[in-house]
Amino acid sequence: MTDWSEPAVDYMQAIADTKILLGHRYAQWSLAGPSLEDDIGGAGAAQEEIGHVRQLVRKLEEQGRDADWLNGDRKPEEFANAASLDQIDGDWPEYLASIAPTDRAAWYMLDAIDQDDLEGLITKMGEDEYFHLEYHDARLETLAAEDPETIQATLEETLPQVLALIGPAEHDESADPVYNAGFTDRSVAELREAFADHYRELFADTDVSLEDVDWDAPPIEEWDETRRRASGGAVSEEDITQISGKQNELFAMN
Amino acid sequence: MKYEVFARVNQGDDTIHIGSVTAKSDRLAKVYARNTFNEEDWDRLAVVREDHLLDVEGEAKPMVGVNAE
Repeated sequence: MTDWSEPAVDYMQAIADTKILLGHRYAQWSLAGPSLEDDIGGAGAAQEEIGHVRQLVRKLEEQGRDADWLNGDRKPEEFANAASLDQIDGDWPEYLASIAPTDRAAWYMLDAIDQDDLEGLITKMGEDEYFHLEYHDARLETLAAEDPETIQATLEETLPQVLALIGPAEHDESADPVYNAGFTDRSVAELREAFADHYRELFADTDVSLEDVDWDAPPIEEWDETRRRASGGAVSEEDITQISGKQNELFAMN
Repeated sequence: MKYEVFARVNQGDDTIHIGSVTAKSDRLAKVYARNTFNEEDWDRLAVVREDHLLDVEGEAKPMVGVNAE
């Protein structure tokens, strides 16, 4: 086991917390999909995300983070999840345009980690993520044809929030503390570019325009480096109660 | 659009029909098939558009013209 720098621990915490919320949102929407196949895909993704969290939490514990705190015994403002998952208002198109870019960004951040003792773990997660991301893109393509206005309006809100999770544009190879500590092999600036290129290409031949997306977000002076977001805000207490399992701990098997 | 789903467990096995999915694109059909039928460690999992199946029996049967004269 190697000791990670503090920015690297925060980076991994943001990935883990985003995955907790991804699992939670997938599960919440897993019976609300337009088809049985969508429901099955959502339920499977929920299970896989929670499995990833379990592994990442173990790694964070090894770096000195408290187990109870990691498992949800904390305030909503202490979660470092992507702001795009704080709450999802609307229907299936809004849901898809919120989780899809968030899951992709969390994967790009994981894939950039360059640590020998995490390599096997990340490769396995990548096998799951391939199908999450392929599903999202295939679904966004159909929704871009069916309801381009909603997809566009939602992405204008969620893409800047997800860019804040990846990190500020100023964090290039010379300024990104996680890259400079040798924890990742790609800077935030490089991940942002790959992320933006992907969505520009995906929607290039559709009626969804990304021209009004704030691709420069977040302003670095407003960016919270611990929570990897710019605008404050947090998930609800109700979400945390569900995620932590606190309400039902009476029924836990000892 | 309906897609038929085919799979085999081991290389060399027959590829057999295991079910169907309904999807709005080929790309989505492949993901739906993986999500729905991933209980096995398939060597191969494939989808075929229903309208790409070539009927042998069941639809309009071919008739051989017989000239009685």
